[in-house]
Amino acid sequence: MSAAITRRRFLKGSGIALASASAVALERPPAIAQKRELTLLTFNHFVPASDDELRRQGEAFAKQAGVTVRVDAIQAPQLFAKRAAQVASQSGHDLIVTTAADPFLYEQHLVDMGDLVDHLGGRYGGWYPFARETCLTASGWRAVPWFWVAFVGSYNEAQFKKAGLQPPKTWDDLLKAGKILKKQGNPVGIAISHCTDANITFWSVLWCNGGRVLETDGKTPAINSDKAAQVVEWYKELYRDAMEPEVLSWDNASNNRFLLSGKGSWIHNPISPYVAAVEKKLPIADEINHHNSPGGPGGIHSATGVNSLGIWKFSKNIALAKDFIKFLFLKENYNAFIAAGSAFNQPPVKQFGEHPIWASNPKYAMLPKEAEYVHEQGWPAKPNAAVQLIVVNFILPDIVAKAINGMPTKRALAWGEDQVKLAVQGKLETKGKS
Amino acid sequence: MAVGQRLLLIVGLVAYPFAMAIYFSLSDYWVGSPGRFIGLQNFRDVLGNEIFRQTVQNSFVFAGIAVALKTVLGIWLAMLLFRPLRFKRLVRAAVLLPWVIPTALSTLAWGWMFDSLYSVVNWTAIHLGIVSPPGPNWLGMPAYAMTAVITVNVWRGLPFFAITVLAGLVSIPREYYEAAEVDGAGSWGGFRHVTLPLLKPVLAVVVLFSTIFTFSDFNIVQVLTRGGPVNTTHLFATLAYQVGLSGGNLGQGAAISLFLFPMLAAIVFVQLRYIRRE
Repeated sequence: MSAAITRRRFLKGSGIALASASAVALERPPAIAQKRELTLLTFNHFVPASDDELRRQGEAFAKQAGVTVRVDAIQAPQLFAKRAAQVASQSGHDLIVTTAADPFLYEQHLVDMGDLVDHLGGRYGGWYPFARETCLTASGWRAVPWFWVAFVGSYNEAQFKKAGLQPPKTWDDLLKAGKILKKQGNPVGIAISHCTDANITFWSVLWCNGGRVLETDGKTPAINSDKAAQVVEWYKELYRDAMEPEVLSWDNASNNRFLLSGKGSWIHNPISPYVAAVEKKLPIADEINHHNSPGGPGGIHSATGVNSLGIWKFSKNIALAKDFIKFLFLKENYNAFIAAGSAFNQPPVKQFGEHPIWASNPKYAMLPKEAEYVHEQGWPAKPNAAVQLIVVNFILPDIVAKAINGMPTKRALAWGEDQVKLAVQGKLETKGKS
Repeated sequence: MAVGQRLLLIVGLVAYPFAMAIYFSLSDYWVGSPGRFIGLQNFRDVLGNEIFRQTVQNSFVFAGIAVALKTVLGIWLAMLLFRPLRFKRLVRAAVLLPWVIPTALSTLAWGWMFDSLYSVVNWTAIHLGIVSPPGPNWLGMPAYAMTAVITVNVWRGLPFFAITVLAGLVSIPREYYEAAEVDGAGSWGGFRHVTLPLLKPVLAVVVLFSTIFTFSDFNIVQVLTRGGPVNTTHLFATLAYQVGLSGGNLGQGAAISLFLFPMLAAIVFVQLRYIRRE
């Protein structure tokens, strides 16, 4: 009998035994019997119920497709490192949330989504213009715009009424109102610091005044202009006469606290302070209202970060991942997603802009209109690598902070121009024409 | 452990990442794009950037003041802990708490204490009549922001100094103090002629480690100021993270972090020579 057990047979037999034992020990079936798993990496949503709804939809899709769906949510700032690591190792999640310049930075590693974008756009009334700005690279659509968050004027209606003021329609109106409100003891607040909100507002004010940071080619600096100088002067006046020095230290949550404390009368922000006040049953919720982002001589423009969904080329579930995106965009699912996000999750396709949530509360009524004003940071240039460096290095709020701290406006802008030039030099080469 | 395993560990955990960092720094490697060799271009670009030069200055101010304060306060705290006191073990354990709590967590708490609207530091100082309202804008003005990040670093690093120096104090034979007393030395004389000389080797090692940790600090600045206001609190690690990971320019990010290496190598070399001589 001993001759029947060869070394090869022994290894084969013991291998099977070991695999079975491991499977039993781990209380899961061996790999051959496991379901396919689709994975999505996203960030922790500001409204946790939105993540719950996403997971619920993941489970529903899993049941329908006979697979498992895993949704991993991490802190938003960790996404940079996670994405870089997944690209470097060519392994990780199938689907990944991309924001700002990501579809351009990872152009070579993301699957073309043109077919899906055409399908969804055709079915749901077309995409808003910002969708092309944020996801259409020189080599095609590298992500599907998923949802975006509007930066609007959030203000304390009672304090405005007390001062006999209407919500500002332009940034100059805000300056005039801010001077009165500060004297009343209710300053306005725009972050001039190293935080996302500071970047977003600067882009918005600059565009509304007809200025730009980069020309459309994405290479030529345009920040050192008369229009940008007017914006910096406007900021200096607003800082001196309508704000408190604390705006120089703000993080993304500071302006929310500022408005909710009852001290601040106006901030440029998503509707999060109101949502938080309602959830926590704070009396100030009744006093907070919203208006569309202000405009200026150059029109109404508002910056945002569009969240989109990309699929890594290394994914083994590309078709399945596209089906999952289609599933997320089914009308009933997307509507549930908007509702779960307490009106935070705004759609990039026009038909979903008719969601009943916008009409359910007069304080949300102006939100759909924002889609017409929105651009990704960098506009009119595409959000390329240079834009990414300008944004993460907080060049724009630092120009203002330098001017506020005493540097002449022209010098502050010249400094900013130098930094923009450096960012352009480090620009990533893109496929095809830019 | 066999020599091969040790070699594998060193190569895997130290040599490989270090070699990769050098390779990145010599390439135009961006996230999502294979880099090509560009020689020392990244280093030239970084040196030509005002934000980097500001960061070098910040790092020396931050590390210099923080390490000096930790040394002085650490010796002082160690001597206090060395004295007979009730609940000695409990007190010594409590002193270690700032060092044990995750830095990001404790720094968040400090962030609240320095918050522009709800700062308990300002509230206390205003109510004690030390400052007039609204109090210092801790994280919004360059000098205050640097003071804030140094304060948190000292608060966090002090236990490491105190406990290590305390171990050094315990090992000093009592007879030396008795002999010094016989020779007429008071408490200051005992400290100067007995404690300090015998603590020097311990202090040299602690200062060496602390200098390295302080220069390469990341969490405190990232959580409190993110390098602001206007880059006046950026350190090498936070700027490298901002440019390399957030910005995607891995080549330049690696170049920024590698600037730490020759500086720290020089500091380590000088201090190790000193320790060996002692």
